[in-house]
Amino acid sequence: MKAFAYVNPASEREAVAALKIDGIALPIGGGQDLLARMKDYIDTPDRVVNVKGLDATVTSTPDGGLKIGSAVKIVDLAEHALVAKLYPAVVHAAGEVGTPQIRNQATVGGNVNQRPRCWYFRNEEFVCYKKGGSRCFAENGENQYHAIFGNEGPSHIVHPSSLAVPFVAYGARFRVVGPAGEREVPAADYFTMPTLQNVLRENVLEDEEILTHVILPAPGAIKTGHYEVRYKQSHDWPLAFTTVVLTMNGNTISSARVVLGAVAPVPWRSKPAEAALAGKPLNAQTAAMAAEAAVSEAKPMSGNAYKVQIAKTAVKRAIMQAAGIRTA
Amino acid sequence: MKSAGVTSLATAVTAAGAAETEAQTGPRVVGPGDVPVTLMVNGKRVELRIEPRVTLLDAIRNRADLTGNKRVCDRGTCGACTVIVDGRTVYACSTLAIEVQGKQIRTVEGLSTGNALHPVQQAFCDVDALMCGFCTPGFVVATVAVLEKHPNATREQISRGLDGNVCRCGTFVRIMEAAMKAKGVARG
Amino acid sequence: MAEYSWPEKPTLLGSAVTRLDGPDKVTGRARYTYDINRPGMIYGRMVRSPFAHARVVSIDLSPAEKAPGVRAVIAWKEPGAQVMYQGDPVAAVAADTEERARDAARLIRVRYEPLPHLASVEQALAADAPAVFPGGNTQTGATDETGDLEAGFAKAAHIVEATYSTHVITHVCLETHGCVCEWDGDKLTAWVSTQGVYPCRIGFADGLKIPQANVRVITQYMGGGFGSKFAPDVQGLICAKLAQQAKAPVKLMLDRKEEHLDTGNRPSAAAHIRAGVTGDGMLTAFDGQSWGTGGAGALSGFPLPYIYNFPIRKRTHKNVFINAGPQRAMRAPGHPQGCFLTEILMDELADRVKMDPVAFRMRNLPPAAPNAMWAEYFTRGAKAFGWDKRHATGDPAPGPIKTGMGVSAHRWGGAGRGSQAHVDIMSDGSVVVKCGTQDIGTGTRTIVAMVAAETLGLPMSAVKPEIGDTMYPFSGGSGGSTTAASVTPAIRVTTVNALDQLFAKVAPTLGAKPEDLVAQGGRIHLKGNASKGVAWKDACRLIGTEPISVDGKWEDGLSGAGTSGVQFAEASVDIETGIVKVTRILAIQDCGLIVDKLTAESQAYGGVIAAINFALFEDRIIDRVTGQMVNPNMEWYLLAGMSDVPTIDIILNNMPERGVIGIGEPPTVSTASAIANAVRNATGATIRSLPLHPHRVLGAIEQQKAGGTN
Repeated sequence: MKAFAYVNPASEREAVAALKIDGIALPIGGGQDLLARMKDYIDTPDRVVNVKGLDATVTSTPDGGLKIGSAVKIVDLAEHALVAKLYPAVVHAAGEVGTPQIRNQATVGGNVNQRPRCWYFRNEEFVCYKKGGSRCFAENGENQYHAIFGNEGPSHIVHPSSLAVPFVAYGARFRVVGPAGEREVPAADYFTMPTLQNVLRENVLEDEEILTHVILPAPGAIKTGHYEVRYKQSHDWPLAFTTVVLTMNGNTISSARVVLGAVAPVPWRSKPAEAALAGKPLNAQTAAMAAEAAVSEAKPMSGNAYKVQIAKTAVKRAIMQAAGIRTA
Repeated sequence: MKSAGVTSLATAVTAAGAAETEAQTGPRVVGPGDVPVTLMVNGKRVELRIEPRVTLLDAIRNRADLTGNKRVCDRGTCGACTVIVDGRTVYACSTLAIEVQGKQIRTVEGLSTGNALHPVQQAFCDVDALMCGFCTPGFVVATVAVLEKHPNATREQISRGLDGNVCRCGTFVRIMEAAMKAKGVARG
Repeated sequence: MAEYSWPEKPTLLGSAVTRLDGPDKVTGRARYTYDINRPGMIYGRMVRSPFAHARVVSIDLSPAEKAPGVRAVIAWKEPGAQVMYQGDPVAAVAADTEERARDAARLIRVRYEPLPHLASVEQALAADAPAVFPGGNTQTGATDETGDLEAGFAKAAHIVEATYSTHVITHVCLETHGCVCEWDGDKLTAWVSTQGVYPCRIGFADGLKIPQANVRVITQYMGGGFGSKFAPDVQGLICAKLAQQAKAPVKLMLDRKEEHLDTGNRPSAAAHIRAGVTGDGMLTAFDGQSWGTGGAGALSGFPLPYIYNFPIRKRTHKNVFINAGPQRAMRAPGHPQGCFLTEILMDELADRVKMDPVAFRMRNLPPAAPNAMWAEYFTRGAKAFGWDKRHATGDPAPGPIKTGMGVSAHRWGGAGRGSQAHVDIMSDGSVVVKCGTQDIGTGTRTIVAMVAAETLGLPMSAVKPEIGDTMYPFSGGSGGSTTAASVTPAIRVTTVNALDQLFAKVAPTLGAKPEDLVAQGGRIHLKGNASKGVAWKDACRLIGTEPISVDGKWEDGLSGAGTSGVQFAEASVDIETGIVKVTRILAIQDCGLIVDKLTAESQAYGGVIAAINFALFEDRIIDRVTGQMVNPNMEWYLLAGMSDVPTIDIILNNMPERGVIGIGEPPTVSTASAIANAVRNATGATIRSLPLHPHRVLGAIEQQKAGGTN
């Protein structure tokens, strides 16, 4: 890594102020992503600002929801009884992140803000759009792990965050603090589809802003399902995963949120799947039909058509899980 | 500033001792040159002068001659550098030494007492859960941590607890046997 | 000589003895090359080509020379030279800390002129391929032909014609390649992570143009080689030169990316095969055109067909060169490839004649022999594995999870020879055994002690083995599964000779002749009369001030060559995701006389797991446009973890009458083929290439539904 100065702020205000320098300053959470990027010279900050001292608690909110500090470690989120009760998909997703060693250090904020795993992005030799270049190497290259939705370009990454998907599905908001003060951004609006103007980022966070909290609304009368397909069972990135949150009226689905991960540059809300579920009974046939709808708008690349089948399976099995039907 | 476009392949070396001009209020900025870093490793103080960019792994291996834990992938994927910090396993290669000051760090060297092996270490030897041995310290530490958290761990819990470690020689079958054997053996 | 032969009733040999260096390894006390910290040591770092193919225009070392902490800088290529693959070494620097060495290396300004490159076999074989390699991008070997091919096919009732292939994988030694070099005047001591201290000594001497007598190579512990670590390589010579320039010891260890790019790999293998079989299941003819790539200018041969008896055969092989790191021997070179390219075909042929795959194979084996035991192993293994429960191709069970079984057979050579040893027996009873072999994780240190202890009738703790240093008597590199067969006879011979000298001293005190004595149970006593003798320590007191000090060497009669084995696999496939999970493996393996049962079994587990990785996970992936590797790490270069490892059962067949033969390589040959056949059995779709990644499995399932893969 390039040598850097290090600072340990004691408050949100100090953290934001420390990010303002003549040069590059980056926040470090658990460091499980940033340090690897720095070792590969994808990022070469002059200063690193520790944000593990921000809020690391999980507290109840007046409306019956939860407020999760961005410095909460993934292991603590995965083992949190109240989170498991209210938002089981969050706990499920947290438990599947990486490995025990990673979960012991990685933070919620770091997980949401992590950069893509795309191997062109991560290898210094490839100067792609996300590094200020003018091409996406996945387009004519090795794209077996790249997007199957939202493939208009310029970038074809899949968003790597496991937690982002259930956060979007549960309708979370993110609290962001910066030089101009604080703001709340709905999770669904936090992640940005790539354009030539914004391709250097994957979200709306500005340079001197930090993510401080994930605020989850009261769950209400919902059924949840979460299903991940990954190749290696020990430690691997998912090929596709889904959170479905179903608002029920008896055994009928009155409305649904279906969000897919590892398939698009952002957590991918599937309107076709949601439309296919609304008003239907919660059963295996509905699950299969909604899964077909979920992939109806897929536009795979030259090497990743197989992910369409896998995404379809993830959606079907997540819905079946919500229905309490045993799946493979 | 967060992003600055293309990262030059020939990144300039930061001039040693470049002073940060900072307002008098606010937290202290240290580095990029050497700073004092004190680590508590296996119950002993280790006092170093290192740059903030030095990982915990490189600090203990290169500066404190604690070479038990190994550097293999250096990217937090293989587990050979697994140490225990405040009771939890971490990848030492993906930890800045400067950030674990004031914490209790246990490396593989801290598991045995004199010539007496930790029960996990003894079990590894008894069932031959090792070959070249390069992944072994990381696996031993990870196994100790699993059994400390779940003294009566199931095979499933042991598997999940060791999923952050990789062996190229293929000792997994006997590592599982060793973990099951060490389970429930009281630490003297 | 009869007196050297292995004991008929051994006390130690063939039993399970725990590894001597286990405690040092589990405590972290064991010092590998990566752990050597010498006084005044500095760190080396190399600069390598980022391009698959380029001309070096200029190298400017000056920014590095001026950088903080830098003590030496070297250019390895000259302007005008070509770099032939990403990772090709260009320059190097040494500095007082690792961080500064990396910083300085990044300051070295190399200008390249990119040249046309070949990123894949397809590109190299294309009609309009650029001429990258002098002499051509391909090189065809001689044709191997036996019998009249058309007559052979005329006899066939069924013919299968298809293309089969395996992929490039890298060794992924956990301890990367590298060394610590320290000069004392004109004498070099090199701690090297190597499989061969003696070959390295020659390599340093030749590469640095210094006498071998001035070079000492040390490897007490090393973190994996798998065939890739036999020479100092470029990094070793660079390390020595940096140390000379800096007048300080230099540690130069490769990082994980360099390790993937430039320390060798298993070449790819492909073949277009046409094979014929009679209606009653006898193979008639085999016609194979094969090819493969070993990277830049390197070969890719492998045996084909493999094991089974095709009376009429024709085979040609073409080496294809691409701009990628050159291949090196990797655990059972050629055999996993030849096995896969034959074994899938065998299941397809079995289906044509509606025969059980095991029965079909048994019908077409070469004659049984001690080194060709497949018939017995197939029978034994089928029973132990529950093969009779196997359904026909395509699991009829409902639901998305399909299960299947597969089988495969293999052979290997071994045949080690030529080691030398030295044994000292001292007047206080201590015994030291020296041999310049190395323990690459196989347990060599332990079996050296075992053979000496067995011979002297002593417990393991009474014998001190000393290995891993060119100061000790000659032994060859540890490869080809030759070490046990090369080393143990040398230890046996030398220790017997040393014991004879001790017998000569003891015999008069017992009123006996030396040939009347035996060493057993920690005593020296008369044959058949244990009470007439002395304890070991008392016997050794008679040695006096001049220790018994004996040199000896390998002799014929204690070792052998040629092993065989079979493996069975069970796998389940989720046909809605294409994900394969291996559930069970059974490996039946022989290796002549088993020395240490515990470490021999570990070798078998290790070989099987290596092959599971070959079958399912690992893959060296090169970007087809730029020729650069996209996964030079351990994140996207997939390797199994604990949750990916199935139940593995090992049956070792001890054949003491054949002498010691090696076991490092044979267990890794068959597993991938057995797994692929299990997947075929489960899904009904034939997959003829590796790895069995979901995209390949789903593709085959889809193709099967659309009209067949057969």
